Amino acid sequence: MFKTEEMEINLGPQHPSTHGVLRVKLHLDGETVVRCVPMIGYLHRGVEKICENKTFFQGQVWTDRTDYVASVSNNLGWAEGVEKLFGITVPRRAHYIRTMLTELNRITSHLLWLGTHALDIGAMTVFLYAFREREEILSIFEAFCGARLTTTAFRIGGLREDIPPGFEKQVRAFQARFLDCIDEYEILLTENRIWKKRTIGVAMLNAEDAIALGVTGPVLRAAGSAYDIRKAFPYAAYGEMDFDVATQPAGDTYARYLVRLEEMRQAHRIVNQCLDGLPEGPVMAKLPKVLKSEVNEIYHAIEAPKGELGYYFIGEKGGVNPYRMHIRAPSFINLQALSKMVEGRLLADVIAAIGTLDVVLGEVDR
Amino acid sequence: MALSLLRTLIPFDIYGGMKLTGKYFGKVLRQANRGVKRTHVVVEYPEVPTTLMPRFRGRLQLIKDEQGEIKCVCCLACEKICPTQVITIEKGKKEGRKTPFPLRYDFEMERCIFCEFCVESCGFDSIILNHQFELAGYNREDFSHAMEGEFQNMFDITPVGHYSVASED
Repeated sequence: MFKTEEMEINLGPQHPSTHGVLRVKLHLDGETVVRCVPMIGYLHRGVEKICENKTFFQGQVWTDRTDYVASVSNNLGWAEGVEKLFGITVPRRAHYIRTMLTELNRITSHLLWLGTHALDIGAMTVFLYAFREREEILSIFEAFCGARLTTTAFRIGGLREDIPPGFEKQVRAFQARFLDCIDEYEILLTENRIWKKRTIGVAMLNAEDAIALGVTGPVLRAAGSAYDIRKAFPYAAYGEMDFDVATQPAGDTYARYLVRLEEMRQAHRIVNQCLDGLPEGPVMAKLPKVLKSEVNEIYHAIEAPKGELGYYFIGEKGGVNPYRMHIRAPSFINLQALSKMVEGRLLADVIAAIGTLDVVLGEVDR
Repeated sequence: MALSLLRTLIPFDIYGGMKLTGKYFGKVLRQANRGVKRTHVVVEYPEVPTTLMPRFRGRLQLIKDEQGEIKCVCCLACEKICPTQVITIEKGKKEGRKTPFPLRYDFEMERCIFCEFCVESCGFDSIILNHQFELAGYNREDFSHAMEGEFQNMFDITPVGHYSVASED
């Protein structure tokens, strides 16, 4: 009498609630997702191949454009990876300033995530408040390096310039009021009944699945595993910083929200410590005029806002550019967990799952 | 169980959210156009020029020294370091000048990514990225900057961008 069949629909690539040009092919049985396949590649520019044809110095500008929300973290990964390849020691002051800017960048990335993710689920107000604070941090970046989004903040061997006059005051003014701002987001969301209905128990991912899929970052920590590269393999000045790794046992969207809010608080703590303990000294190491690599290969991973961001370099003898460069992009690998999260769930949960993974398509496609 | 029922019946969460929204609503209502200390972040941009940070990275500009001579000596460092190859320099000689003189200094702005590597590589301080950010043009020639020409002058700020005139340097 009634004939039922599976329906195949496309979510995206121009759908307003997917982030960027992500196309998700959904097989639906009524409103239930049977199968979910993310189709990627719409923003592929071949960053890895381009970087193989550029010198180590020039390649950094492309890392701005992979994860454009957290470009300072990408710059740090590139700079530290190349320094590891050449065995360059960076001055301690440069390490501190790098750590401070990277943590501020973590706050901007999480604020953008909070605003857009809440907007997807239906909470409009928090978006406006989150972007108000993000604007201030972008002004800090502009004061430091002259650009707000595509920062190109660091150089191989340290920093281009020391912090400008008045910079510390600007950061301290932001730091003084930021904790209250996080409390405001919590007032709007944490106990909100609609928010809790839309997030608790939605897009579950337990720790075993997350580790098996290679998922890192807040998504893994919200499943109960306290893996943070800042603690496990300290880089920059993180070995000298005092901070906690935020974890939650639940593994759902609400837990990821709590983890990211706690990470913002910890980032705030680290920035304060960097400002208080900022050592004197030079910000740039002595470098040869042209960097020429030996036959060597290294992998350097940092904790980007979205997870483990790794740069893999192979150098050839006398080469001024990397023989092979690979980016282990956290968004790309976290996106693989999407089908695990949503299969058997409702269509509306797909939007929450895409939001909670915090993917940036510039980084997924590279 | 009883607690969650109580939370459902008495909407504390809605009250908290409304209180926060009301706080900011009242703040704006009290302070908007009243001459009190302004707390909002809106700038009246096209009418009032924006203030930029001193390190802002805008358009590439060639610098002349006090005698009106071009400071560039054609070392081609900027041309080599540029990640997108937007700078083309033609070396030449000029009467009464010891150092080489650029016959042509072409800058193709449509591909420029404003990374400031060229300024960093320059050992003679002969180029800067100025504070101009209004870089829209009407045709493609507006983006090909060279040493001569009315709308594509490497020395001046283009007439299109008269709002973002650099203030201090």
